[in-house]
Amino acid sequence: MEIIVFGVISGCIILFGALGFSMTLKAEGFINVAHGQMLLLGAYLAFLFSSFGLPMVVATMLVMLCCGVCGVAIYRYLYRPVKSRGILVLLFTSVGVAYAINGIVGAVAGKRVLAYDLPPVRAMRLDGVPIMTVYELMIIGFALIAAIAIHVFLTSTWVGKSIRAVADNYDLARVRGFDPGHTSDYVWFIASALAGVAGVFSGIIGSLHLGMGWQQIIIILAATVLGGLGSIYGVMLASLLLGIGMELGIMVLPSNYRTGVAFLIIIAILFLRPEGLQSLWSPRTGARH
Amino acid sequence: MESILLFVVGILSIGAIYSILCLALNLEAGIDGLWDLGIVSFFGIGAYTYVLLTAPAAENHQHYLLGLGLPIWVGLAAAGLMGGVAALLIGVPSLRLKREYFLITTLAFAEVIRQIYANELWLTNGVAGIYGLNPPFSESLPPNARQVVIFALLSVAVAVTYLIVRSLCVSPFGRALKALRENEALAMTAGINPFAHHIRAFALAGALSGVAGAFYVWYNTLIIPGQFVADVTFFVWTALIIGGIGNNTGALVGGILFVLLHDALRFLPLSNDMAEVVSSVRTALVGVILILVLRWRPEGLLCERPARVRVRQG
Repeated sequence: MEIIVFGVISGCIILFGALGFSMTLKAEGFINVAHGQMLLLGAYLAFLFSSFGLPMVVATMLVMLCCGVCGVAIYRYLYRPVKSRGILVLLFTSVGVAYAINGIVGAVAGKRVLAYDLPPVRAMRLDGVPIMTVYELMIIGFALIAAIAIHVFLTSTWVGKSIRAVADNYDLARVRGFDPGHTSDYVWFIASALAGVAGVFSGIIGSLHLGMGWQQIIIILAATVLGGLGSIYGVMLASLLLGIGMELGIMVLPSNYRTGVAFLIIIAILFLRPEGLQSLWSPRTGARH
Repeated sequence: MESILLFVVGILSIGAIYSILCLALNLEAGIDGLWDLGIVSFFGIGAYTYVLLTAPAAENHQHYLLGLGLPIWVGLAAAGLMGGVAALLIGVPSLRLKREYFLITTLAFAEVIRQIYANELWLTNGVAGIYGLNPPFSESLPPNARQVVIFALLSVAVAVTYLIVRSLCVSPFGRALKALRENEALAMTAGINPFAHHIRAFALAGALSGVAGAFYVWYNTLIIPGQFVADVTFFVWTALIIGGIGNNTGALVGGILFVLLHDALRFLPLSNDMAEVVSSVRTALVGVILILVLRWRPEGLLCERPARVRVRQG
């Protein structure tokens, strides 16, 4: 039971990271390695803001804003100018961005492991059995709200529809009067803001260290592959499954293999069913190459 | 004066190792079009193979497999062989996948393999690593001269690797790889079997990286799992992109240039706090250079030149 609960919590955190990652993957068609470092940036910014005495909720809001603006700026000034040169150039530009962010955060914050200064709370009990803390409940609640909000946003609003249209068929969307440049800004803002939140949450249940961005991008990649590259709903389900799967996996394997389990899942999925979970409900002819 | 000389020799030695890795990566990613984000796997497997075969048997406080104390030449050959075999084993299933999928799979394998070094104490002594590995000629030469000799050996190794990769490039095999990279469907109609060529390029690159791994052990005289993180893969890619992807001379220059840029600050006498900041700044510097090169000179310093074909008149 504990394992399932903890799996769901870590699944929710993966959800925030993976949701934004697969939005950018779907919209731009490349693997944004720097997405993991956006989590790192979010986590450390929240540490900075809360050290000014701001309450955690306000700090998180500010983090969303800052990360979102950073994401849009990085897209506009670094990714968009090289977009015409193909996926490989974009991919390695994002590797460059990842190292740049990681280095800057490291130079400012130092290499020590940090933790948020949160008031300690006791786990809530259900029938006398400790289940989870208030923080963890908030993470799950927030994940639910975010998943529903993203769904409503993508299906019912003009901006959301244009994001989907541009991602599916760039030229057709332009002909139909959507402005692709504008929609990209929204995608990057939302994706980066979500990454910032994911960083704050993983800092709340764990600690802050410079390697967390690399660690998270690996797990995000696993969730994205499991869900089917670029599929928003596949990724939501995959994040939860992966969170639970990793916790179950380390019952069998030594606990140091936690991310190893994520990777074994990636390898298995790619060999067996490269289209990922989305192929369960949207039959397509083969994977996107 | 002598310390500066040794510092330069040290940097150039690590640069030579990166050059070998860049040449290997150029073969599979520049000449062939395989987006391999797991080159560190074979680098690590080569290094561990070399150590397990050439190190003396494990003492009480350490645990690792074998420790046969074999001669270094056997170790080097085995490192290359195991690098190649590992590449074959990973390549056969992975090469069915294309581009992004191949890239993610190779990255995944590299991470799983690194976790195996870190967690299987009986095999590799885990994160504690294996220390005190004597480089060649450690008995017969004083330590300073030894570094110079290792550098000389590495220079020879780079030259040999360069010649191997270059002659492969102009061979029918290399031209077939380029054809596959440019247009796989067209190459197939010309009778080129994509899988057979890709797997050979992948395994060759794995073997070369494996040998580079053994040299890395000479340089470091110790081996820990932390030496084989995904950073190495990204650094080698960065070096190759700086030098010029698809150009062998570019790969060679890129490896050395990257290490000069990245490690030149490392031996400055600094206080602990400053050293921490400087190491982070170095990381940021790598990122900024990569962004700038891709933005302003995506073909690298030396771009790929079309092969000159001599047409026999007659």
